Amino acid sequence: MLLESVEYTRPRNLDEALRALASREGAAVLAGGQSLVNVLKNRVASVDLLVDVSRLDELRRIEVGADGGLEIGACVTYDELERSDDIRGAQPMLASAAGHIEDRQIRNRGTIGGNCCLSDPSNNLPPLLIALGATMNVQGPGGGRQVPAEDFFFGYFMPALEPGEILRSISIPPLADDAGVGYQALSVGHDSKAIVRAAAHVRGGDTIEDARVVLAVVGPRPVRHSAMEDLLNGAPASAETVERASEAIGDGDGLEPISDAHGSADYRRRVARVLARRAVYEAMMRGARS
Amino acid sequence: MSDERDPVVSDEGTAHAIEVTINGETHKRTVLARQLLVHFLRDTLGLQGTHVGCDTGSCGACSVIVDGQLIKSCMMLAPQVDGASIETVEGLAQDGELNVLQRSFNENHGLQCGYCTPGMLMAATDLLRRNPNPSEDEIRHGIRGNICRCTGYVNIVKSIKAAAEAGAGAAEEASR
Repeated sequence: MLLESVEYTRPRNLDEALRALASREGAAVLAGGQSLVNVLKNRVASVDLLVDVSRLDELRRIEVGADGGLEIGACVTYDELERSDDIRGAQPMLASAAGHIEDRQIRNRGTIGGNCCLSDPSNNLPPLLIALGATMNVQGPGGGRQVPAEDFFFGYFMPALEPGEILRSISIPPLADDAGVGYQALSVGHDSKAIVRAAAHVRGGDTIEDARVVLAVVGPRPVRHSAMEDLLNGAPASAETVERASEAIGDGDGLEPISDAHGSADYRRRVARVLARRAVYEAMMRGARS
Repeated sequence: MSDERDPVVSDEGTAHAIEVTINGETHKRTVLARQLLVHFLRDTLGLQGTHVGCDTGSCGACSVIVDGQLIKSCMMLAPQVDGASIETVEGLAQDGELNVLQRSFNENHGLQCGYCTPGMLMAATDLLRRNPNPSEDEIRHGIRGNICRCTGYVNIVKSIKAAAEAGAGAAEEASR
């Protein structure tokens, strides 16, 4: 397919990229291109300048801080996330989730930044990054700013980026010694589009602390379920606690699942309850084992 | 890589001078930003072994290896491969002889209509480089991005397994 006429530039550094992006309204960031190229084929967005940041070294680094926290460049690919010893060591669930995105071809090109900036509510990484307490490091013409992951995924295909801004990197704090992470999805097929996702983080051993329960594909953005978290925090780490807390997921809790060919809104809500439970169990088990 | 210079702008967008190595041969061309890599290979260079299946990045028929990485060539733009080394299905046969993997597809009936085959062969080449002795599960995971609408995959998996047993994997691993 021939794309609509478009200009292309490959800046040599982030400053050049920011200047190119600010140069006109129809400029768009091209990273791995595994969604954007299809958008261009469908001619659903008016893009007249592609700013290719996929080769920028400063966006491709994975750095480990003194405290064990990670800073992951926005153009690190899924395959690099999966294979990185630093990520497998500090955040094994992130490495594993990245290794189950679609197929090898897509994992070789698709980037963590692209996965986030598309802000597709069914994408793999956003709910997990929220559960991990990640921070999005955004660079704009006037400097940098930090956005908590839970505020970054603003709505359907709307990241919390202003015109002219680029997601530079993602910071993930270290996991506490007694922390565990769980991630569950019900997918249409193996490693494919999810009907519902649930990610969880807990710590504290016998008593649950710092519970974060994130549900996705049940509305325009991945959301923390604070009612379920409140029932988990301070309660004994038991099956009964998790069972009871998951009952907070239901009518009137603010979730807005859609109905489509893969499931009704009601079905998604029921599946969300089951997956949230499994994700919290998984997080408790992994926390207890570490 | 070609010299740094400003691209030519017209009402078709920008045109870029690129230099790529394909199956060991260097090509210099000027490409429009709007041209997909698969059309650069097929239409500009006449390398029609790489197929266009779905044109949405779903089917894998256009899979090629760019700088050692398996990718779908309908999901990259031609100017993005400036300076890259690309392997396509045309590069598999040596001196007019099918390689071990290609022979294995032939002997094990690993294709029916053949449309997906170039992509399957490139995905299998990539898999065997990373994993010279894959299990059936690993083979199926490795070709997850390649759709065949004829075979049900049984004979494709069998072909890749047989190629690995015949030493294709070890040869690919050594060639990395």
